Amino acid sequence: MNFLIIAILSAILQIFAPWWVIAIVPFVIVIARPSSGAFWSGFGGIAVPWLLYGYYQHFISDGALTDRVAKIFMLPNGILLLLVTALVGGLVGGFSGLAGYWVRQIFRRNPAPVPGAVS
Amino acid sequence: MKFVKAILFIAITAGLVYVLDKPWAPAPALGPFLSPFCGLWQNSEKVIDPKTRETLQLDSLRDEVTIRFDDSGVPHIFAQNDFDLFYAQGYITAKDRLWQMDLQTRAAAGRLSEILGPATLSLDQQSRRLGMGYGAEANLKVAMTDPRSREALLGYTAGVNAFIRQLSPKDYPIEFKLLGYKPEPWKPINTMYMLEQMTLTLAGRSNELAMTNALKKYGRETIAKLFPDYPMLQESPIIPSGTAWDFPKLPVPEAAPAMIPGDSVALSARPLTALPDRAPKEEGIGSNNWAVSAEKSITGYPILANDPHLELSLPSIWYQVQLHSPDINVYGVSLPGIPSVIIGFNERVAWGVTNVDADVFDLYKIKFKNEYRNFYWHDNQWKPTHKREEIIQVKGQLKPYREQIIYTHHGPVTDSDGTFGELPNLAIKWIGHEPGNSFITFYELNKAKTYDDYRKALTHYVGPAQNFVFADSEKNIAITVNGKIPLKYKEQGKFVLDGSSRADDWQGWIPPDQNPFVKNPPRGFVSSANQSSADTTYPYYINWSFAPSERAIRINERLQAMTNANADSLRMLQNDNFSVLARTLLPKLLSILETRALTPKQKAAHIVLSNWNYQNSPESIAASIFETWFPLLGQAIWNDDFSSPEAPMEYPSRDRTLYLILKQPNEKWFDNVSTPEKETLPDLVYQSFNASLDTLTARKGAMSPEWEWSKVKGAEIRHLSRSIKPFNAPPLRTGGGSSIVNAMTKRKGPSWRMVVELGPTPRAYGIYPGGQSGNPGSPYYLNLLKTWEKGELNELIFLTSPEQKVPHLGSTLVLQKR
Repeated sequence: MNFLIIAILSAILQIFAPWWVIAIVPFVIVIARPSSGAFWSGFGGIAVPWLLYGYYQHFISDGALTDRVAKIFMLPNGILLLLVTALVGGLVGGFSGLAGYWVRQIFRRNPAPVPGAVS
Repeated sequence: MKFVKAILFIAITAGLVYVLDKPWAPAPALGPFLSPFCGLWQNSEKVIDPKTRETLQLDSLRDEVTIRFDDSGVPHIFAQNDFDLFYAQGYITAKDRLWQMDLQTRAAAGRLSEILGPATLSLDQQSRRLGMGYGAEANLKVAMTDPRSREALLGYTAGVNAFIRQLSPKDYPIEFKLLGYKPEPWKPINTMYMLEQMTLTLAGRSNELAMTNALKKYGRETIAKLFPDYPMLQESPIIPSGTAWDFPKLPVPEAAPAMIPGDSVALSARPLTALPDRAPKEEGIGSNNWAVSAEKSITGYPILANDPHLELSLPSIWYQVQLHSPDINVYGVSLPGIPSVIIGFNERVAWGVTNVDADVFDLYKIKFKNEYRNFYWHDNQWKPTHKREEIIQVKGQLKPYREQIIYTHHGPVTDSDGTFGELPNLAIKWIGHEPGNSFITFYELNKAKTYDDYRKALTHYVGPAQNFVFADSEKNIAITVNGKIPLKYKEQGKFVLDGSSRADDWQGWIPPDQNPFVKNPPRGFVSSANQSSADTTYPYYINWSFAPSERAIRINERLQAMTNANADSLRMLQNDNFSVLARTLLPKLLSILETRALTPKQKAAHIVLSNWNYQNSPESIAASIFETWFPLLGQAIWNDDFSSPEAPMEYPSRDRTLYLILKQPNEKWFDNVSTPEKETLPDLVYQSFNASLDTLTARKGAMSPEWEWSKVKGAEIRHLSRSIKPFNAPPLRTGGGSSIVNAMTKRKGPSWRMVVELGPTPRAYGIYPGGQSGNPGSPYYLNLLKTWEKGELNELIFLTSPEQKVPHLGSTLVLQKR
């Protein structure tokens, strides 16, 4: 559930806010809504919209730009660049989620499920 | 423990954000660059649905503007007044070419280092020392006093800025994202910088230092023989021989004796502050244009053609546009950053340009009172210098780079012959510093209706001097060697001039109506290919050397023979690959080879050359051998006499070399002075033939299809950055060459090919290599390339109203006053 909320909220916010809002959204959501799998809901919540939106841009232009930019970064094609992109966004989201989880733990008594497990 | 982990993961997240938000040169900040919400992905574009109709509300427009796009991506702009017309041109050009406009004006203004750092500082210094800003400011002052240019510049500026203002960072062209900077507001002076840049490209070189070095070594008599003022072997001048010069000639200034540098004088070591060595004038930047008369055409009206040869780049230097307002309807190519159409046609007339190699860049040796350089000797008195401080901001450096440039009445003192210690002592007198309003020439040509309008438009023009070809629906054809050309004594500026002598100053100008021109010549065509403007009967001195004659000879031969011409006949001539150079020289070279015993490899090459039809076609192997061989032969003849790295000398021209080989085979120049043996022409022919085969073998292996001319030449079109290789065009398969009408070399070539059939309604065709959009993520980035590569042209859609229903017309954009 957190995954979906992070995905939708971060996607909306990124239209107006700077890119680093992806480091805020998972943090806040995980604090507000305790659940297991803080890392993966943060990772997926950022990576999946990046992947989908990036693929849409790649697709409508037939990779005209993305394939070229991939080559600047020594990657064979735009799809691989897209995977790298999603990984980068995902890592920020994931660690942000983890940070949220442990901040919440400070204010909780009961031990929570182990972070990292898929929720 | 919880605290530690919380802090640890907050730190990791913050650290990631920090690292991703920071540019790591040469890579941009990866976070914003990769994010699909604001990064590179946003620059992907799809083909615009032809039914799209969009309306935008924009500031400072006066009336409604309608823009129709055709399926090549060309905007057809319909406005109610000049201001709105140029506003829309600025807006739309920025939409497609904003980064190009930014980069090119920065390059001209010497402001690249602001965004690129110390790597480009020397380029910026060069622009500053040359006085690009000095010239641009002087020209802007004049442009702002004429209401027509003022309106155009202000409209264009408002349009570009209207576009920039509505951009958010995610919309910035991809190059801004890669380089990590943002577009700045456009200013009217940027247009002047673009014009300066053209003047620099086309008329910003001189060879008088190299000529003076040669003069010093060989003396007046030999230099006069080796560097004649008119081609000795063959020429076909722009204004046909026999054209009458029926005007009252002005007295030509009296010749001053050329300064001969004393033997004690070092003409070598260049101080650090001098202009860096610029590449010598090279072949490849030039152009062709011509017009055939109604009698020669099948349409009963003239047909005009033009193909300017420049360094090819992506995006293209040109941008196609149609401009329509109540008193203008013109189609053609514009230069991004300059309002109006530069080469094109309207309902009544068509025009095109090629470069005139006028000598409008001279060096004057300055005698300063002392090293403070506050005074210089001129006309028997000490005169004060002026100083202009140039400040260059350099990215990554706290303090800007500052340099004081000394100006005399000639111009900036920025070059050096090494005789004034560490300080420059050569002043540059350059047409790029001459205030004027060349823009008005194009503005008036855009609106021209008659031959008289054309002639009047040309009188405003300063430089770079161009051969303006013209045709109209009244069945006139004409060509004018046009520009503000200094009235010089013969050979003034062939060598370094005396900056202290009044007699060496530029004394005035050739009156515009006395520039060489011809209207409706009996031969039924006019043409130019950068060759000599006129034969030796023309009363004024323009230059001693022009582009070699081969392209012109071929064009004129074919036009002479042409009857019932149509647009396609002229298109085929633009693509002509015939080598006049090979026809002139190769039989002689082959006959010399026949006197020698040849190895099987040499025999094979000899047979290939003997069977050659002199066509530099893409698949020709003979063309590869000949094009490799001829420069090596030239070097074999001249290197021993003229190669001198410490004091570079000008080499004799191609025409002079041919004359030597064909008419003076026993001259001493064939002997290699650095060997004890006495070499002869046959020796050099044989040696260089061998060397050319070795060169090709080293590059491409034994003779095979790898030796095809298109592969040996390896033509390429690079992205304007010259460094972002994935944005380059794919490899090209092209014929032609530097002495060929189809003047495609490795990096330079026909940057726009246009053919216009005049008539009650004009029919026009054109193409350039690239596409309208500068965005590598756009379907319009390379959409014109294949057609260009095949030598074909697109029919240009010339509308009379925005509602007109014609095929190939697509989306509509309406700009409304907010």
